Amino acid sequence: MARITIDGVEIECREGISVLQAALEAGLDVPHYCYHPGLSVVASCRICLMEMKSRHPQTGEMAWSPKLVPSCQTNVSDGMEVRYKSPKVVEAREKLMEFLLVDHPLDCPVCDQAGECLLQDYAERFGHATSRMVEQKHVNPKKDIGPGTMLYQNRCILCTRCVRFAREIAGTNELCVVNRGSRNEIDVFPGKPLDNPLQGNVVDVCPVGSMLDKDFLFSQRVWFLESGDSICPGCSTGCAIRIDHNHGKVYRFKPRYNPGVNDWWICDYGRFLYKHINDERRLTKIKMRAADTQETLDWDKVIDVIIRRLGEMANTADGRSIAIVLSPFLACEEAWLLGKAVRKLAPQAVLVPGYLPDGEPDRVFPVGASGDDVKFTIRGEKCPNSRGVEVIIAKLGGPAVTFAEFLTGAASGEYIGVWITGGYLDNWVTKELLSACMKAESLLVQDMLPTELSDKASLVLPMCSIAEREGSFVNATGKLQPFAKAMPAGEGRRSDGQFLLDFANRVGAVDCPGVFNGDRVRTLMATDTGAFDEIWVAPAPPAHQH
Amino acid sequence: MAEYEPILLKNVGKEGSACIQVYKASGGYGALEKALKTMTPDDVCQEVKKADLRGRGGAGFPAGVKWGFLPADRQVTYLCVNADESEPPTFSNRVLMEHDPHSLLEGIIIAGYATRATAAYVYMRAEFTEQFHIMQRAVDDAYASGYFGKNILGSGYDLECYIHRGGGAYVCGEETGLIESIEGKRGWPRIKPPFPAIEGLFGRPTVVNNVETLCNVPHIIERGADWFLAIGPQGSSGPKLFCVSGPVNRPGCYECSMDITVRELIESDRFGCGMRDGKKVKGVLPGGVSMGIITGDELDMKMDFADPAKYGLLGLGTAAATVINEDTDIRIVLRNVARFFAHESCGQCTQCREGTSWLYRVAERLAAGAGRLQDLDLLADLSVSMGMMPGLSICGLSDGATFGIKTIVSKFRDELEGYIRAQTPGKAEAALSIVN
Repeated sequence: MARITIDGVEIECREGISVLQAALEAGLDVPHYCYHPGLSVVASCRICLMEMKSRHPQTGEMAWSPKLVPSCQTNVSDGMEVRYKSPKVVEAREKLMEFLLVDHPLDCPVCDQAGECLLQDYAERFGHATSRMVEQKHVNPKKDIGPGTMLYQNRCILCTRCVRFAREIAGTNELCVVNRGSRNEIDVFPGKPLDNPLQGNVVDVCPVGSMLDKDFLFSQRVWFLESGDSICPGCSTGCAIRIDHNHGKVYRFKPRYNPGVNDWWICDYGRFLYKHINDERRLTKIKMRAADTQETLDWDKVIDVIIRRLGEMANTADGRSIAIVLSPFLACEEAWLLGKAVRKLAPQAVLVPGYLPDGEPDRVFPVGASGDDVKFTIRGEKCPNSRGVEVIIAKLGGPAVTFAEFLTGAASGEYIGVWITGGYLDNWVTKELLSACMKAESLLVQDMLPTELSDKASLVLPMCSIAEREGSFVNATGKLQPFAKAMPAGEGRRSDGQFLLDFANRVGAVDCPGVFNGDRVRTLMATDTGAFDEIWVAPAPPAHQH
Repeated sequence: MAEYEPILLKNVGKEGSACIQVYKASGGYGALEKALKTMTPDDVCQEVKKADLRGRGGAGFPAGVKWGFLPADRQVTYLCVNADESEPPTFSNRVLMEHDPHSLLEGIIIAGYATRATAAYVYMRAEFTEQFHIMQRAVDDAYASGYFGKNILGSGYDLECYIHRGGGAYVCGEETGLIESIEGKRGWPRIKPPFPAIEGLFGRPTVVNNVETLCNVPHIIERGADWFLAIGPQGSSGPKLFCVSGPVNRPGCYECSMDITVRELIESDRFGCGMRDGKKVKGVLPGGVSMGIITGDELDMKMDFADPAKYGLLGLGTAAATVINEDTDIRIVLRNVARFFAHESCGQCTQCREGTSWLYRVAERLAAGAGRLQDLDLLADLSVSMGMMPGLSICGLSDGATFGIKTIVSKFRDELEGYIRAQTPGKAEAALSIVN
């Protein structure tokens, strides 16, 4: 630990970090544009300048540097003194804000970044209301630099975060700076657009409204958005995300800082998965085949139906059993509650880990990196919780088969009833699965999007999306990551955790009445299974660390 | 002014001075033999340090001290030769490379030996076309004569030499910008530390020296540090090249010790031979455009490393004096200086990128006769809030950009105000109302 003094207040900080980082971690809101903790340091925006007193390399004496020093570039050393609020620093910062706005257009009213723009924030806090700049401003047209991103060059402040992202994280090098001086522009090479699986991150790292997401462009003012933290269901990496929504509609996923998992990034596949939440085809109603009943079902009544039916099937004398297919899209809590509750009614029910959408190899970034140089991995296993479900099945014990064995068994009519859970993000039902499931007398399908399977099921329960659920996933590296509910379940739906908890309570599998609470259920689950006691929660980044 | 026997320019004007045979016939490569055969690398370093050879590129940092910054346990060392001479009225390196390329090469090999460099990169500005061919020919001849390559003159010392041509950017004359450019990157100066001596070209310890600095090295080795120290005033010892341009009778590149004044440079028969048509001197930019301006009353400024600061200048710079006569509109000088830096700022640091172009836009409006009195305060204020000395930029380009503006505005303020007062009333307002 090093001890440094910032404006007379002594703070303790980690060795080897920059003064800026130390100040941010100590809660000081130091402005910075070019500095991004995930990218290399270029110290070119010059807004984080501070006065510094440090040990002279030759004389060993503590001395104030005659110049202002960029705090992002200078590492802490024990005994260092720093002034951040001194008149000299304040004045330099004011002047800098004026320079930054020399050629910046005043188009905040039509800029997508407005409301989450560092230039706005810092101009408001550190700048002047007026500028002495009265000359003609340079005008730079906007550029279409790739399928996903629009570059509003006019608003660019040349922090080069995007260039460094493409170079250092994606490793694809599409972006560069062209021209010189105030005519500097970010650009792509002719015929080589910004088109890589991580390209959306350049929009996130851009501190101003220069890099904008074509998908989100002009769709919503950011101050109308409500946010909830979640985990991306796109693959087994388990990136921490933020879900931005308004009036029941999700507008975007943004990455959340999650060191060791996704750091500051997410891939484009995950980023645009928000679209499935808004999908109009999504199942919204409990549906029962007309032959079975005429009554309309609500979520409470359907539990009675399920209990009755499961009870009947559990007691048949022909030796056929019940199969419960636990989808890798289920949260651990949901899988546990379902397995637990069904086993209570039908102790011989067979547990099956759901179909794994797998196939493509993992993709690592920067492109071509290996070992410790890998900064980001897009996993080929396109589901978030296959490991969690495996652990649940192992810990619950009793009869269990693989998905392939289930298919063969079901095809030969081994199961009288099948409860199959889905939640997949695209059509996942194969002909084999369909014909195998058709052999069962009762087929309960719990899914988000309609499939041939849900069309033919005896009972369909609409499943909620990631935004409307709560629970935890175990990612590819074995981290148990809880996620919260970002928004209420839509009309007609009930959050899966809530439904399964009600069900498990009714059959007496658990004693945890009331509203589903992820933490509470997780504790019960951990006690019951003897697993899942180590929870990985992404640490909150220091304020303003975009 | 004492009699002065040219040292650096002694071969200039000789028939075939760029040829290796001519160079060798006048004792060339003798210092190299002396260094390689009778001195250790540390001896050479010590001798250069003792001679207090200050860098001729502009900053005046002692070359021997710079060499001493290299880490002792280094495996690979590179020597970069800064031949990017891009300061506007400066052409002394060009004269050396055109007429006496072998004296530079000899300096490179000795400096390389002293720093234990394994490769030397000569970074030449894009506009040096003829000079490039002369230099390449000289390098080829030197290779053929065994001065480059393996085991130079049987000493066991190896040195390769490459000429790298730039792309035409002023900022690539800054040492770290130059290194980036040699590495094939955009010539954006690097943040320091680490300094090039620790982590330079391709991440290895690197020394960057100016052409003229290296041309001095063979003479120091040949004649000793004490001889070198005896030339010129203390702290500014050794021969120095001066460029004189503008409306003087004989513009050109001249050599002298650093005890001459600007007045002598303009008026002496050995140098500028006085003003053309007998005009009066209005001002002189004595160190390239980036050091600032002196007025016609300040011509007694000495062209050494210490005196310019007393006149509010940034330093000696490249010692290239641009003379401005009484007929010149100072607003045009202001605009030209501002335009140069707005064009050449690399655009990395915010203040420099935005500031240089802002200064230019204001200067241009002034030159167009649409100035406002408060613009002068604005120019003065901007040039203070841009510089490196407050610590606001990575390299010194913004300092250079502001010193010209700052000194012109402060020293010629009356004249500038006079122009603004004489403008057609309302012209500035009209010009600005179009914009705003």
